[in-house]
Amino acid sequence: MLGKLMKYEWKATWKLLVSANALTWLMTIIAWFMVKILDRTGYSDFEMMDFMAVMVLLTYVLSMFAVSVGTGIYLIYRFYTSTYGDQGYLLHTLPVDTHHIIIAKLLVSAAWELINIVSIYLSVIFLFASSSEIFDSMMRGMKDAIKYMGAEKITAFTVIMTLVAFLFSMFAKLLKVGACISLGQLSSNHKLMLSFAWYIAIYVVEQIIQGMYFAIQIAFHKRLSYMDHASYFDHQWETVLIGGIISCVVFYLLTWYVMSRKLNLD
Amino acid sequence: MAPVVQCMGLTKTYGRKIALNQIYLNLERGRIIGLLGPNGSGKTTLIKIMNGLLRPTAGEVLINGQRPGVDTKLRISYLPERTYLQPGMKVVELVQYFQDFYPDFRMDRAYDMLARLQIPPQERLKNLSKGTKEKVQLIMVMSRDADLYILDEPIAGVDPAARDYILHTIVNNYNHCGSILLSTHLISDVENILDEVVFIKYGSIVLQAGAEQIRQNEHKSVDQFFREVFAC
Repeated sequence: MLGKLMKYEWKATWKLLVSANALTWLMTIIAWFMVKILDRTGYSDFEMMDFMAVMVLLTYVLSMFAVSVGTGIYLIYRFYTSTYGDQGYLLHTLPVDTHHIIIAKLLVSAAWELINIVSIYLSVIFLFASSSEIFDSMMRGMKDAIKYMGAEKITAFTVIMTLVAFLFSMFAKLLKVGACISLGQLSSNHKLMLSFAWYIAIYVVEQIIQGMYFAIQIAFHKRLSYMDHASYFDHQWETVLIGGIISCVVFYLLTWYVMSRKLNLD
Repeated sequence: MAPVVQCMGLTKTYGRKIALNQIYLNLERGRIIGLLGPNGSGKTTLIKIMNGLLRPTAGEVLINGQRPGVDTKLRISYLPERTYLQPGMKVVELVQYFQDFYPDFRMDRAYDMLARLQIPPQERLKNLSKGTKEKVQLIMVMSRDADLYILDEPIAGVDPAARDYILHTIVNNYNHCGSILLSTHLISDVENILDEVVFIKYGSIVLQAGAEQIRQNEHKSVDQFFREVFAC
């Protein structure tokens, strides 16, 4: 049943999110032409065409931001309406396990987040690759940054584990939103307001735990000396991964508890 | 064979408000049962608990001897009092959706009913009128061979002609080995199809009897008797 749930979750979301990504690429192509124009005319001759190019680039950046934030908001809206809104009446009367419902929504949302991230990265690379001047300076900047961080010493294992840690962080972020919306359902009235309150409360707790963790690190282990960046980045993924896994487990169980034990569809 | 529904001391409260108060109720198989009560009497709350959409504060409900869960959802066909359809879906996709999730769904029966109502399968649900959407939802629910059909206010808010169609669809398409629990406050429209009635008032069951038994003992229709019992 998990596969079927995922199939219908994908079908319900793909049109809007593919359109949003198509808009990203349309803006990328327009901006690409403008960068070409800027490259040809030179940046010192600030004329009408250049002004238009700058405006197009600004719109490009804003559209990236809008698509990124919009995707997140849409996925939250979709989770809320399909789980606790009217469509929840169908979802929760399907003969499927609650675990499958949560996992299907999580995996499809995570897939969209990843598609968005990859799409935006590719778009930026494509855009700046069109201007040799900007691309060269970007590559130089990246090389300097890698050198400064001591990343030359970082192993493939560290890179892979950093990506895994990033994935868990993303799952944790999505599950946190799901848990907050679910906890909001425990109220008979003011469900949305309670969801926001839970989000703020959890955010504050997370910040306190993170602050305490770094304070302990500095006080006892002195790992944040900034003298040995490779060593710092070599171990940073561990913290992110452990934090991500713990958050995933906690938020997943909270969502599962509300859906399976405290469901309250008005 | 165990009753299709057993409620044992079922209670639901919202803060200080008691929605259901110590309900004891057994519903037998092969019957059309009317769950009758005025607005706010607890009909929908009881139905939601049977479907696992609400959790009781105390007591329990058993469907086919099991607590609400995946197994009971396989055997209940539920029509809520609201539209739960995804507006962007086409009718044909909705049929496929039910086919994918419910092993007892009969696709041919669904298409037959859609054809009789001249509802195009390629039409998107958002393009259908409210009444047609309700009919599509009813068709999906009645195209299953369930043990228990729970229909929450299926004829509320529709015109008399549509009411006739809905009742005709219910009577002609349900699995006769199963039961129908039909909640409504429009008694006169459904009276003729009911085998049994359950009166619910302020969250308590005040009567459970055969429809014919009421007519014989009270010498009045169920509708008239209902008006007497629930007179303000």
